[in-house]
Amino acid sequence: MKKIELLSPAGDLERLKVTLLYGADAVYIGGEKYNLRANANNFSLEEIKEACSFAHKLGKKVHLTLNIVFHNEDMDGVEDYIKDVVDAGIDAFIVSDPFIINYIKTNFPTVEVHLSTQNSTSNYKAIEYFEHEGIDRVVLARELSKKQIKEIIEKVHCDIEVFIHGAMCTCFSGRCALSNYVTNRDANRGGCAQVCRFSFENGNEKEFTMALKDMNMAEYIGDLIDIGVRSLKVEGRMRSLYYLATVIGTYREIIDRYYDKTLTPEIMEVLQERLDRVANRETSTHYFMKEADHTDQYYSGRSEVSNQDYLGQVISYKNNLIKFYERNYFEEGDLVELFTPLGEHISFIVEDLYDEDMNKIDVARHPDNIYYLKLDTDIEIPDYSMLKIVRRKNENI
Amino acid sequence: MKLLIEPINKNNLYEETVDGIILPLKDYAVESIISFSLAEIKDIVKNSECEIFIKINKNLLNEDIEDLTNILKEIDKLNIKGIFFYDLAVLELKKELDLKVDLVWNQTHMVNNYRTCDYYYNHGVKYALLGKEITLDEIIEIINKSKITSMVEVVSKPSVAFSKRKLVTNYYKDLGKEVNNDIVVKEKVTDTNYEFIEDSNGTSIFLDKITNGTSVIKDLYEAKCEYIIFREYGIDNFRELVIDTKKYIEDKCRDDKYISKYKKLGDSTNFFFKKTIYRVKK
Repeated sequence: MKKIELLSPAGDLERLKVTLLYGADAVYIGGEKYNLRANANNFSLEEIKEACSFAHKLGKKVHLTLNIVFHNEDMDGVEDYIKDVVDAGIDAFIVSDPFIINYIKTNFPTVEVHLSTQNSTSNYKAIEYFEHEGIDRVVLARELSKKQIKEIIEKVHCDIEVFIHGAMCTCFSGRCALSNYVTNRDANRGGCAQVCRFSFENGNEKEFTMALKDMNMAEYIGDLIDIGVRSLKVEGRMRSLYYLATVIGTYREIIDRYYDKTLTPEIMEVLQERLDRVANRETSTHYFMKEADHTDQYYSGRSEVSNQDYLGQVISYKNNLIKFYERNYFEEGDLVELFTPLGEHISFIVEDLYDEDMNKIDVARHPDNIYYLKLDTDIEIPDYSMLKIVRRKNENI
Repeated sequence: MKLLIEPINKNNLYEETVDGIILPLKDYAVESIISFSLAEIKDIVKNSECEIFIKINKNLLNEDIEDLTNILKEIDKLNIKGIFFYDLAVLELKKELDLKVDLVWNQTHMVNNYRTCDYYYNHGVKYALLGKEITLDEIIEIINKSKITSMVEVVSKPSVAFSKRKLVTNYYKDLGKEVNNDIVVKEKVTDTNYEFIEDSNGTSIFLDKITNGTSVIKDLYEAKCEYIIFREYGIDNFRELVIDTKKYIEDKCRDDKYISKYKKLGDSTNFFFKKTIYRVKK
């Protein structure tokens, strides 16, 4: 049985490396052109080459988003760009435009083409159309139930990918131009201003809102594996390193434990709590088990939580000393956790903390400064290990 | 150049006044104000001499496919000029069933370039309703460069977005108030109203402001655009407007009094002369 793919977003090279090291089987990235996050730190051709080289050495894959809705002027140069990124080593394109799908499959038949969720594909007959066009995989609409996904998989031949985690669009992807009308920013060319998260006046005591809770499918990963989904996609090319490391690391553990039959309810509770803690919004499984309703939305009065759990990124571990870049304030007596790309989690109370000149201090208070922390462990602590808070010393248990 | 309209009253379809009408199919059309059962469409086709187009533009689900297959077979027996479609399942079924009826590529915000128009033309699609978020120059370039027959929506309250969710019901449930199916809300920064209309398929969102493209009809005529579309929803004295527009086209768009008269529809020309941006980062 082929193991399901865990597909991570990566907004830049560092995020790409972190997510692959934390257990993603593949990453999706945006190039400097033609992708739906025009304002993210997208990858240059040189960076795409480096990304592919890094991923391929680990036996992993890189998918490139080429999923804008093209205007006439966008078509200029697209063939050259496709050739350049194929030469750079891309494993798959994520595309919404059937002209582009046809062009890639005709000229580069060994490169995979995945139909973007921008098409909001929601039935097997539409997939049959794209199968005749040579599509290798379809990323389904996020509005489908388990039963509908299962029926699609039973009736089609190509791979099926679904979103499992992250922010959600209120409208069908590709079927929303709110951003164009309200802000003049083109939603379908990478400029979406997320107008569905605005609030609107309507004369009632509460303003009208339509924002959605984020998606979190952790408890249904087994179901998705069982019905034959090929790839599980996490949203968030613009998310932080800490968020990505936590989310990808956690889903890696859920998937592996599901296959190993070691995913007990107790362990699942710990893993779900880990995901909940890194989130800045409430979550839902939306359409998967029921028709989505008002409980899947936010209304006026909600607030997004700024997460300050992330304490620092490890630079090295030598002579029982962790050297790290600080990200958020912490102090002696706090209960912290060190987690590694290898899936290890070590909790300990901070006792010996030093500044960059090895002066003993009580508090690490300056983000981006280098500090040292004493820890005696035999566990391997590789690059991109991270520190997070578990409990402040003055918090009640 | 022909004038197509999408009516909002089953008793007033303007068949005698216009070149063609668009009839949204019950349960399969979204972003429309009314819809017609297949039986109603059959009656209209029997008694009408204008061109009839049917709109099937929802995002289809597995459970729609069998029923839709039967409907398409029935439609194919009628004297229908074309089907406006969003979901590629419709194009796949046209191929599988070898349907004779022509199709109109109608993926609301996606019909934006001539090469993809030509892709669809080469795959058996005769018409394309061009996106409303592209400029007049882009529209004319598509008309000039693509083999597909272009249609342009010129006067309407534009549909802006569509959600499968019951956004109005959900809002009222949260408020604990009785549900009303429609709601008008104001975006505060631009001081612009949007209308949310909910039905069994989901929620359609319209800009509550008329796009008045009467001033671009002449450019489209000169570019040899074959169809322009007016949607009746939100427009007063629609009959007079379509009669005047037909006359204006028959007169080769030379009568400037038409333009002056219909300034009363408002000054919004939507994206005809305004280009969207998407890179905001330096």
